[in-house]
Amino acid sequence: MAPGIQANDVSPMITVGTQEVGLTAGYMLSHRLTELHTTKQHGPALMPSWMMTLTDPIGDSWYRGQVSIGAEMVYLQFREPILTHGIGITPRIKYTFVALGRLRPYLEFAGGPFWTDLGGNIDEQANEFNFVLTGGVGVSWFLTPQLAATAGYRFHHISNAGTAFPNLGLNASLPFGGFSFYF
Amino acid sequence: MIMTTYAFRWLVLGLVGFVVFGMTACTRWIDVKPPSSGLQETFSRSIPNDERVPLVMDTFRLSQNGVPQNPSSDVERRVLNAVQETRLFSTLVPLGGTPASAGGKTVTVRLTFDETIDPHAGHTALKGIMIGASMFLLSPIIELDYDYTAQARLELQRWDGRVTHYEARSSGTAHYNLFGASPVVIEELKGQVMETCLNSLMTQLVQDTPLYMASKTPLPASTVHTVTVKARRPTTAYTPLPTAHISTTPAP
Repeated sequence: MAPGIQANDVSPMITVGTQEVGLTAGYMLSHRLTELHTTKQHGPALMPSWMMTLTDPIGDSWYRGQVSIGAEMVYLQFREPILTHGIGITPRIKYTFVALGRLRPYLEFAGGPFWTDLGGNIDEQANEFNFVLTGGVGVSWFLTPQLAATAGYRFHHISNAGTAFPNLGLNASLPFGGFSFYF
Repeated sequence: MIMTTYAFRWLVLGLVGFVVFGMTACTRWIDVKPPSSGLQETFSRSIPNDERVPLVMDTFRLSQNGVPQNPSSDVERRVLNAVQETRLFSTLVPLGGTPASAGGKTVTVRLTFDETIDPHAGHTALKGIMIGASMFLLSPIIELDYDYTAQARLELQRWDGRVTHYEARSSGTAHYNLFGASPVVIEELKGQVMETCLNSLMTQLVQDTPLYMASKTPLPASTVHTVTVKARRPTTAYTPLPTAHISTTPAP
């Protein structure tokens, strides 16, 4: 550490209107929740995102945090049972805990339309047009006031909201890591 | 040919829709309410150079939503700049500075600055969820707000001990759509509200120009105070302690 620089010097000043551009990547691992689920879909995931901070920190205790909203594009490559792809765009909402300075845990939720050519080729999903819902937790470690390394876990669900049958849904875990830039 | 015309029409409509959406979703504006002191007119007074005395910043208290904060040198500088623009005082001495003597006459100032911020966090979070759930289609019509209020109090103490209070309060709201949100908007809001507040405060100050003219009031006569300090005699004292006489003279 350079002389005179304290650990708190990299604590970010994130205020209303601060924007975040992020890129995370992970690997999807399937969960077969019923006996009817037979597909072991797995593969890499890439998720570029944009977020806008909506509030100054709320609360005065450990839960003190900020709400941000944005959009995320999700690309999935399914390597099993056949090599297929999926792409979607989802609104995303995030609550970031700010009480720990440069270490910022967060909760997130996202959901939106998702297209995949895996649909129609497996027993669980009948069509290519689906929706993706994800919820998870993560943590950002600010390397500088504007740059953070991120890691986390998401639960991932893909289904078609009953627009076609069968619609058993595909469930997966998605551990991920990446970087975010704030401006 | 018909298909081409049809596609072109939809392309143009789509582009127009995208531009309108983008423009309305990026809208932002600021409303600043008039200050509460009631003094809106601008006063202009001239004062000869030899009638000006130094102004010394004595204390500066800053609070945000009622919670004391570290004094901000930016706010202090801004207040002093506003005072400087009135040309009422010969020099301005910031907090911790040493005044150059000007015949002993100085005006000391105690500044209190209260900021009240209401970002409407709860409403904004709910609106954010609605905007996200609509895939951002509602972002042009859902408006987000951020309120800021500044209240400044000046206490000016003349060289003869006379104290005069000045107070001004101003508030404003930044309205913006999701894509118009930016820290710059919030800074603009704070800047405009503070400017309005300081203008009101300086108007009051300029009205009292004669109070701060050097020739109006002489320095109070110097007096010599004699204080007698007598040490308490300890119960086990072996020798009697002498009585000390200390004289203090106030600085000229």
